[in-house]
Amino acid sequence: MKSTKLPSAPSAEQKNLDSVEAPGRRSFLRNLGLGTLLAGLAGQLFAMVRALVPNVLYEAPRTFKVGLPDAFAQGITYLEDHRLFIGRDQRGLYAISAVCTHLGCTVKMLNLNQPRTVEIGGKPTQIAQEFQCPCHGSKYYGDGTNYAGPAPRPLDWYRLEVSPDDGQLVVNSSQPVRHDFRLNA
Amino acid sequence: MKLKEHWETLTWTWNPKSLRESSDSVVRNLLLHWFPAKISRPSLSFRYSFWLGTISAALFFVLCGTGLILMFLYVPSVERAYPSVKDIEFVASYGGFIRAVHRMAAHLMVVAVFLHMMRAFLTGAYKNGAGANQNRPVNWILGVILLLLTLLLSFTGYLLPWDQLAYWAITVGTNIASAVPLVGDKIRFFLLGGNDIDQNTLLRFYVLHCFVLPTAVLLLFSWHMWRVRKDGGLACVDRLVRDEKTKTSAPIKTKTYSLLGITSGRTVQVETSYIDQDEHLVESSPNLTRRLLLVILATLLVTFLLGFLVHAPLEQAANPLVTPNPAKAPWYFLWLQELVADTTVHLGSYTVSGAFVGGVLVPGLLVLLLAAWPYLDPSSVSATGVRFARERQRQNMVFLAIVLVVVLLTVVGTFMRGPSWHLYWPWQSWPETPTRF
Repeated sequence: MKSTKLPSAPSAEQKNLDSVEAPGRRSFLRNLGLGTLLAGLAGQLFAMVRALVPNVLYEAPRTFKVGLPDAFAQGITYLEDHRLFIGRDQRGLYAISAVCTHLGCTVKMLNLNQPRTVEIGGKPTQIAQEFQCPCHGSKYYGDGTNYAGPAPRPLDWYRLEVSPDDGQLVVNSSQPVRHDFRLNA
Repeated sequence: MKLKEHWETLTWTWNPKSLRESSDSVVRNLLLHWFPAKISRPSLSFRYSFWLGTISAALFFVLCGTGLILMFLYVPSVERAYPSVKDIEFVASYGGFIRAVHRMAAHLMVVAVFLHMMRAFLTGAYKNGAGANQNRPVNWILGVILLLLTLLLSFTGYLLPWDQLAYWAITVGTNIASAVPLVGDKIRFFLLGGNDIDQNTLLRFYVLHCFVLPTAVLLLFSWHMWRVRKDGGLACVDRLVRDEKTKTSAPIKTKTYSLLGITSGRTVQVETSYIDQDEHLVESSPNLTRRLLLVILATLLVTFLLGFLVHAPLEQAANPLVTPNPAKAPWYFLWLQELVADTTVHLGSYTVSGAFVGGVLVPGLLVLLLAAWPYLDPSSVSATGVRFARERQRQNMVFLAIVLVVVLLTVVGTFMRGPSWHLYWPWQSWPETPTRF
């Protein structure tokens, strides 16, 4: 029968060498190696996750032109391509987002048969339109104030400007504004 | 004759002729090696487990097979996704059938995995029994994660046809992510790869759906099965051990060569020997394999038949500008959508969005509760592997009540919500609503 050689147990002398002379260096090198390995893996993981966060977005620009101010009559006009309402009243022009503040569906505008007066922020206000969300039934007054359904806050209002080069209206959808914002144009 | 011999050398493990071949087959066949050589009769019972785990696994492999073919035919780009699904549906030979089977198997897998969890809960199968080194709570948690992965797989697959149904369900679903406090918008940005559901989103969901999540399911499924073996099989085996112990049996005749043999009072025995008797055990091959193949066959049959009968829908191409009315999430998330629509709370001037309550808080707490339940369960070992054990009656009631609420909300969301999320009876017709202005 062949005898297989097992690695012999460390002799007492070797054990002594390990425990007396080398432990500092040995464990330091082991920890250094393990630490480097873990740090390298962590760095690699970070690089992989970071690569998934886009640096350039090929999305529609957040600031865009929507035509000459004169094109917008009294009342509210819906711009389907931008999911945006442009409104005009006696005081000027304003822009309301059509994206429901609940979960991002596009709200639909309903023209009321007769204007009615509701209390918004303690002030009686006359409204001629309402917005309704098809997804979960949120309802907003014509100025974007939410009054029913799960929407947690009013529709966003965006800053309007007149472009200095061709006089078109410019909507800046990265800049929400207060509900008394008007552009005289 | 020669051909027959060759055939038998290949297949004898599935059809052993003797007890020796039977136990050999478990050792020598890769597919059988994860079974024990012998298995207890109660674990083979259809009425104890309904074989729901096997059914779930079978459905998973149906999904892998049909999904592989679909991957050859589908193009994950915004321009070509919808036309390629249309080609799968109407141009490729059997494409519509394969897609219908894929969709049907996905729906059935959600149902099967959920029922599997219910079975495990109601029989107290997450509880340890008398065996050594059991850790069934860990396997229960693995099961909960597998349930979540199943839902995620289904959800990511939902976007891929890039039709209206897909687009708006994912709009609603991913906006729920942004309701997470503080980091919500960042999570959504990372998930979508941008601010809008666009090419980045489609590709991300595609890779998750076809590689990341199935791989995770495979790994966890292996772990799940390994744990079943380490935990000594199904929980009903522990019930058998307990029942056997209460029987008074004649002392086992053994010779003892130590002083223990002459001490009075107790007999020295090894506990596991209680069920190591032939009346309780049968050979895994062919007793387990036969039932296994039968269950797989039945699952395939039902899935293929339903695939023949129910076609996978394909709506108009995705249009970010037009929200369909009503816009609904996939059916297994409709209870969440129902919560999301009903749970916005106004406290004075402060508003808690329903998206947070229904989309993050409630499902998050439910998952945590599920995962922690084995550790909160105070019942004794005797409730392990017993269906509707008296000791766990109240727990089962609470669990079933939660299940009932989820099912009811799902039914309301599926059949009773019409345009603008108004309530309608299933037999009421919906009013005509304009889809555009």
